[in-house]
Amino acid sequence: MSLSESELRKLTLEAIEELGENATPALVKQVVEKAIAKLEDKEFVPKSTSGDSGKVILTSFGLNHPGIVATITKTLSDASCDIFDISQKILTDFYTMIMVVDISRSNKSLRELQDEMNKVADELKIKIYIQHEDVFRFMHRV
Amino acid sequence: MPYEFSEILETIKMTEIEHFDIRTVTMGISLRDCFDRNIEVTKEKIYSKILKYAKNHVKYAERIESQFGISIANKRLAVTPVSIPFDAFKVEEFIEIAKILDKAATEVGVDYLGGFSALVQKGFTNGEKELIKAIPYALSETNRIVSSVNVASTKAGINMDAVNMMADVVKKTAELTKERDSIGCAKLVVFCNIPEDNPFVAGAFHGISEPEVTLNMGISGPGVVLEAIKSAGKIDLQGIAEVIKKTTYKITRAGELIGRKVAELHGIPFGIIDISLAPTPAEGDSIADVIKAMGLEDVGAPGTTAALALLNDAVKKGGLMASSSVGGMSGAFIPVSEDQGMISAAKAGHISIEKLEAMTSVCSVGLDMIAIPGDTPATTIAGIIADECAIGIINDKTTSARLIPAYGKKVGDTVNYGGLLGEAPIIPVSKLNSENFVLRGGRIPSPVRSLTN
Repeated sequence: MSLSESELRKLTLEAIEELGENATPALVKQVVEKAIAKLEDKEFVPKSTSGDSGKVILTSFGLNHPGIVATITKTLSDASCDIFDISQKILTDFYTMIMVVDISRSNKSLRELQDEMNKVADELKIKIYIQHEDVFRFMHRV
Repeated sequence: MPYEFSEILETIKMTEIEHFDIRTVTMGISLRDCFDRNIEVTKEKIYSKILKYAKNHVKYAERIESQFGISIANKRLAVTPVSIPFDAFKVEEFIEIAKILDKAATEVGVDYLGGFSALVQKGFTNGEKELIKAIPYALSETNRIVSSVNVASTKAGINMDAVNMMADVVKKTAELTKERDSIGCAKLVVFCNIPEDNPFVAGAFHGISEPEVTLNMGISGPGVVLEAIKSAGKIDLQGIAEVIKKTTYKITRAGELIGRKVAELHGIPFGIIDISLAPTPAEGDSIADVIKAMGLEDVGAPGTTAALALLNDAVKKGGLMASSSVGGMSGAFIPVSEDQGMISAAKAGHISIEKLEAMTSVCSVGLDMIAIPGDTPATTIAGIIADECAIGIINDKTTSARLIPAYGKKVGDTVNYGGLLGEAPIIPVSKLNSENFVLRGGRIPSPVRSLTN
């Protein structure tokens, strides 16, 4: 991480103010280093995504065969995901299934879940998409 | 189920089949505090400032991309027009600045950085003249820097001295990058009424009234509009406008959501969403195809300008309803080389530069990515730029010229850049002489705003 000159100056002045009369070059250095470390820490904490419902929409489609719903729901339950709603349609050989899934209490991140579902999709030769619910809310609800 | 089956499938179809994507998230960074009379200190200031704000730009964009399942095609940066903070520098130093910007862009992993720019519609400062002279070298010696110069505005008129200077710069850039089909010219746009918050390259820069740092984004979805028109079937043109509006509304809503989320991760203000339909060379992602789907045999057929006007206007209306942060260009782009349908129309001889010029009076930008013979005189290029600017100042709209006088090539040849820039057949330019007009120089006065007949 690189800091601009003015930032460094500000940090140093703050440190001097904090230490007062006792400031020695070594002490200032210690305090500044701590402050920089704190800054770096802060930068890597992602800002909260406001109003996040924690729900995702899982869409799956492909050629129908036994075990698709079982495999997908097993993967979801292994990841402690909660299925809110499920709906499916079958048109001759072709099926489409849509689930609303709550992943807020899951032990897996969305990315990990997507990776697992990609594996399931390859195995079953179907397509699975997982997208955050907000996309649908923004697109289809005024 | 909180959403209809059809709604969910519509979204999936848009993102997976019809090429709906976020074309660009562009972080704008002010460089106004980066000047130092020592060029080395200036360079250090520029580099560390860009890295400070943008080091997570690509990472955050990718995180949002996977969260919402909508791809973000490009992550880019825009900076304050370089001529403004660094007005005291000379050509050599501006080239140095271009190189350090290129290094910073490479380090943070963005594909382009815009802002090697000057705003000279009313006249030049000394630094602006130096920057313009540096453009051909900056573009030939860097990979990710793009440049734009605004030479005209409705309020100031057309600075013909700047037009002439830019015509020479375009020719010089073509020559210096002749090894790669004059690719430098694909990274250089001459503008009239340039918007200050445009996220699209090559015209992107961080305007002087913008905050310290901001996030602008551009959405793209000609494929989505094309499919919507196709599936609408036989309806009248009012119906077509309605279909385009509804579709644009949806993609703008999704786009704004993505932009705001990326800005939120950075903890910086969200700027604008540019609702331009920007084509790519991918099959089906074409403005030309949208025009054809409305019923014209090919782009260039009589009726093309009307169809494009309808499209451009409907896109704006749909987008404006969807978001209160609409800005930038917001309309339809017609870059020849970046649009499969336009490429084939140009190859078939269906579009001429004159027809394209007419189309620019109703599209959102101007003559874009048009390859012309390498021996076209600079004064003819100046004439074409002046014509574009005239359309812009009189109609109070943004127009531009991104012309590629491909060095050593003639009509019948093509230039091929691959990727987003695509390929373009060289199209003929009028052989009539413009020299005695353009070389008069001076400024074409700003137009009257009433008696608009």
